Amino acid sequence: MTFLTGTYFLFATTLVMAIITVVAVNLSKSGAWTPNIRRIAGLDSIEEAVGRATEMGNPVHFTPGLGDVTAEVAPQTFAGLEVLGFVTELTAKYNTELIVTIRIPNVFPIAQEIVRQGYIAAGKPDMFKEDTVRFLSSEQFAYAAGVMGIFHRQKVAANIMMGAFWAESLLFAEAGAQVGAIQVAGTAAMAQIPFFVAACDYTLIGEELYAGGAYLSQDKVKLGSIGGQDIIKGITMALILAGSLMATAGSQMLVDLLKK
Amino acid sequence: MRREVPIVITFVVGIIMLLTNFIKIGAGEVGLIQQWSSELSNWVIIVAAFAVGLASVNLMKIHSNNITRQRPGWVNSLILVGSLIAFAIIGTIARLNPGTATAELNQNLFDYVMSPLGAAMFAILCFYIASASYRAFRMRSAEATVLLIAAVLVMLGRAPIGELMWNQFPGIAKWLLDIPNTAGQRAIMIGAAIGGFATSLRILLGIERGHLGGAE
Repeated sequence: MTFLTGTYFLFATTLVMAIITVVAVNLSKSGAWTPNIRRIAGLDSIEEAVGRATEMGNPVHFTPGLGDVTAEVAPQTFAGLEVLGFVTELTAKYNTELIVTIRIPNVFPIAQEIVRQGYIAAGKPDMFKEDTVRFLSSEQFAYAAGVMGIFHRQKVAANIMMGAFWAESLLFAEAGAQVGAIQVAGTAAMAQIPFFVAACDYTLIGEELYAGGAYLSQDKVKLGSIGGQDIIKGITMALILAGSLMATAGSQMLVDLLKK
Repeated sequence: MRREVPIVITFVVGIIMLLTNFIKIGAGEVGLIQQWSSELSNWVIIVAAFAVGLASVNLMKIHSNNITRQRPGWVNSLILVGSLIAFAIIGTIARLNPGTATAELNQNLFDYVMSPLGAAMFAILCFYIASASYRAFRMRSAEATVLLIAAVLVMLGRAPIGELMWNQFPGIAKWLLDIPNTAGQRAIMIGAAIGGFATSLRILLGIERGHLGGAE
């Protein structure tokens, strides 16, 4: 067994990050440490959005983004699907119609199962209809056209977009704004965050999306992993600071270490 | 078992895919883990093909219902189902008979129907950017005012007219983009990268299992 060239540091970093997360999870699970997550307005607003849709008698639209579960954006898609479970619970509680639109065929059966099981768990299996979760198209702009059509035809009152997005993000957000929907978006796609900030009522930026599952469930194990994530962030900040100071002083030690 | 089996599969496959980037086992040119990873990637293609089938069935069911019950907009559903069938038949014949008129027709459908339709949707963005900017730049709060000032300075710095008005505008725009903007973007990127790692780990370890459906 040999290590591939230039991967020692990366492997060590992955291992250390994994250990920190597992330790933090165990500490939180045992009750020795309960990490606090700051208030995230975007996640708090989901209930308000579903409530508003209920009052108006119009449906809630949800999309887990355009990313696949096998691509590098998979964590964003999974984070979006975590939020979908929560949205299903809420729509079941308020008897509000939910429309989930899907672009990636791989995500379709997963989303269908989440919504179906969510309604069963809420004791309302009849709320799950064949067109609750809709596959529209795997073509990016055909999917966008389909979503925009649904917004206008069904007058959605709440639009929740959580996952990986590309150029279609603003098409969705503006179409939602045109029909007067309350809009909550979350993505870690850097180029799309400004569009969501400009056009949506609430936006989850980057890591806030990943914290969605833990924040909404307040599950100790998940909260622990978010705490571990913060420790890793602290170490990263310390490394950036040390690297900057060392580079300023003319030392390349840390840079060389990163290349190993 | 309904939950444990998928979690175990996720863990084993995830670890193999992760180790592919670090470790090589065996003396050959391609390591054992890399071979497994390549094999698993082929499996993904097979699973994806079934998922496409499931998704297509859903699409056909929904739109066939729209047509038979003549729901509002049923004509759109009719066009969709017709296009789906036509593309499937023409595409299959074209794949089996390359270089024939059907293959050319298939290519033309993509070049002169699909591509322009996609481009037309993409082009709508230019109008939406204007309307979204208008809403975002209204001075409703201190943050929106800062956004408006920064945007005006960047626009003046990037457009030739700005440099004509005052030759310092390009420098100011460059500073805004290179310093505060880059700092903010990097902070978001680092946070998102760590968040993505932690989420992946939660999925691998079966902590985050919302995608398996149902209550925790």
